[in-house]
Amino acid sequence: MRISVVGSVSLHLFILLFTIVSLPLFNNDELEMPPVIQVELIEIAEKTNVPQISKKKEDKKPEKKNKKEEQKLNQPIQKPKEEKSNEKVKDPSTEEKIENKKIEEKMIQNMPVRKPEIKKKDKFDPLKLAELIDKQKDTKQTNPEDIVEKDYEALDSTPSLDKRLTLSEEDAIRAQFMQCWSIPLGIPYDKTMIVKIKIFLNTDGSLLKPPEVVQHERMNKPGEKYFRTLAESALRAVRRCDPIKAPEAERYDNWKNLQLNFDPREILRG
Amino acid sequence: MKRLLVYLFPLILFTNISFAIIEIDITEGNREPLPLAISEFFHDNNPEIIDKKITENIRTVISDDLERSGLFSSIDDKAFIQNNRAMHLKPRFADWRLIKAQGLLTGELTIEDDRLRVEFRLWDTFAEKEIEGLVLITTIDNWRRISHMIADKIYERLTGEEGYFDTRIVYVAEEGPKNKRIKKLAIMDQDGANHKFLTSGKELVLTPRFNPVRQEITYLSYFKNLPRVYLLNIQTGIQEVVGDFPGMTFAPRFSPDGGKIIMSLAREGNSDLYVMDLTNRVVERLTDSPAIDTSPSYSPDGKKITFNSDRGGSQQIYVMDSNGRNQKRISKEGGNYATPVWSPRGDLIAFTKFYQGQYFIGVMRTDGSGERLLTENWYQEAPSWSSNGRVLIFYRETKANDAGDGHSSSIWSIDLTGFNERKIITPVDASDPSWSKLIQ
Repeated sequence: MRISVVGSVSLHLFILLFTIVSLPLFNNDELEMPPVIQVELIEIAEKTNVPQISKKKEDKKPEKKNKKEEQKLNQPIQKPKEEKSNEKVKDPSTEEKIENKKIEEKMIQNMPVRKPEIKKKDKFDPLKLAELIDKQKDTKQTNPEDIVEKDYEALDSTPSLDKRLTLSEEDAIRAQFMQCWSIPLGIPYDKTMIVKIKIFLNTDGSLLKPPEVVQHERMNKPGEKYFRTLAESALRAVRRCDPIKAPEAERYDNWKNLQLNFDPREILRG
Repeated sequence: MKRLLVYLFPLILFTNISFAIIEIDITEGNREPLPLAISEFFHDNNPEIIDKKITENIRTVISDDLERSGLFSSIDDKAFIQNNRAMHLKPRFADWRLIKAQGLLTGELTIEDDRLRVEFRLWDTFAEKEIEGLVLITTIDNWRRISHMIADKIYERLTGEEGYFDTRIVYVAEEGPKNKRIKKLAIMDQDGANHKFLTSGKELVLTPRFNPVRQEITYLSYFKNLPRVYLLNIQTGIQEVVGDFPGMTFAPRFSPDGGKIIMSLAREGNSDLYVMDLTNRVVERLTDSPAIDTSPSYSPDGKKITFNSDRGGSQQIYVMDSNGRNQKRISKEGGNYATPVWSPRGDLIAFTKFYQGQYFIGVMRTDGSGERLLTENWYQEAPSWSSNGRVLIFYRETKANDAGDGHSSSIWSIDLTGFNERKIITPVDASDPSWSKLIQ
């Protein structure tokens, strides 16, 4: 009997001791906290170096006043009050007849004829293969309706990163042409009204050769007089800016050939 | 062959990536008017040209026309570096670029058999080439019209849009106190020159409208205290009443081919739209509603008509087919609308709007969307389009004071963009203007 009591007590004590030692409840050690890491939230700037993808914008909403809810107005539009005349109507006399003098109009016959410039044929340059490929791409866009939708395609022809301009270089060039370009504000809005001009520059920023309108054939098409006006204004801007303040000559390869997209659509939309 | 293509493909791909051109989008620019150098036209010291100051006058008219459009500015001739006759054959372009001229106009005048021969050339100073050139021959006294025509050619060449300077404005000239106003028909060039009164003022006249193809005006005048629609030939002075209707006719306007007159006919408090064929005088009724339908205006293709009606409880703008079918309200924003006029371009309708105590001149698309209010004032109405659909004229009244003084009305013009608002100077008060097409 005594032996069994001692055995039971010692076994209980063992269990109690084992519990105290092994269970974490009774462990007084403090928890190790990981070091605090500071996180700063920053906003991503609107302009990044990521190629832009233009999306169709919805029509601008009318002016602020029109946004207000319609209010019923009891007051009708006042018409100008006229005086009533009791006199009989006589034929109003036109004392002076307006002469519509006919004017003869003819083209100047002795206009100096401008000879077409004959360009010397360049030797075959394999590097210009790329330009030929680009031109091929442009001729595919002869349907102007597709121009806006095809902006996504620009992603495919984006130059490699080391061939890009920095944002500040690009902005500096853009600012110069913006200053030189007198927008022909008389042109009606049309979503195809964008003129792409390729320019080829010397190291000092002057034009190496005359600028080229990408859709040149469109300038002479009948019914495209607005496009011709826009293209001529863009060409004037390029020549007016000649020479541009060029970026560093060390990066000449990056900016020697540029395509300027003169796009007044948002302005013309009003 | 296949193998060759397989070899070439990576080469083409590589070339494309390496030499892709950098694109820069230019979506803003200089909105200042385009600077032009307009030189005086050269001549062989002809005494008649010198006496009548024709060369100075031509330059002034062209320059004023272009500047008034808001799209061009004329460079002061004191800044000209080159100013000799040789520039009419070949200008020194660098000199003109130096004074920031983007275009240069040169010309020569000669008198042959008592007729004035005007030759002009327009040069692009940056492209270094002539972009327009023409010879015009007329009587010497017609130098002013020649000047407007040259301004039209320059405007068209540099904007791509037909000019609107060789046009006239007919309007209601008003004189006297507000309660005893004398109203006459008057006509002038779009710049205010060659002003003439067409009626004596004994009869009250309203709403004159130009025939788009002939030198003819339709307007409203009173006969036995009833308003009637009249036709007036500007060249012959012959006037006639349009039809003999059993009620009042008003708000007349020509169809685009000038062969019909559409108008409102009021009987027993109700007014509907009617169209009369001017060749056979057959009248056709277009609307039949118990409301007031008025101010009709054709679309430039003649297939649609916009008009004003209060059938929905307030004055709104409606559009229908030219036979009166498919009548549909298009004005959607708040307020009351009146005097809709279809643009010669066909894409917009100009209107007068009354909203929250103010009058607006605005434009909307032909389905009523895209409403834009161009100008706001205490009282203004009756827009009329320029022939190219680029500019609107309308009239505006000033508020009289408590004593009844200070009331006046005048014609104003505004660009479709809402800019370039200008007052057109008239010898007396003016209202209800109508702008002609280019004179043929």
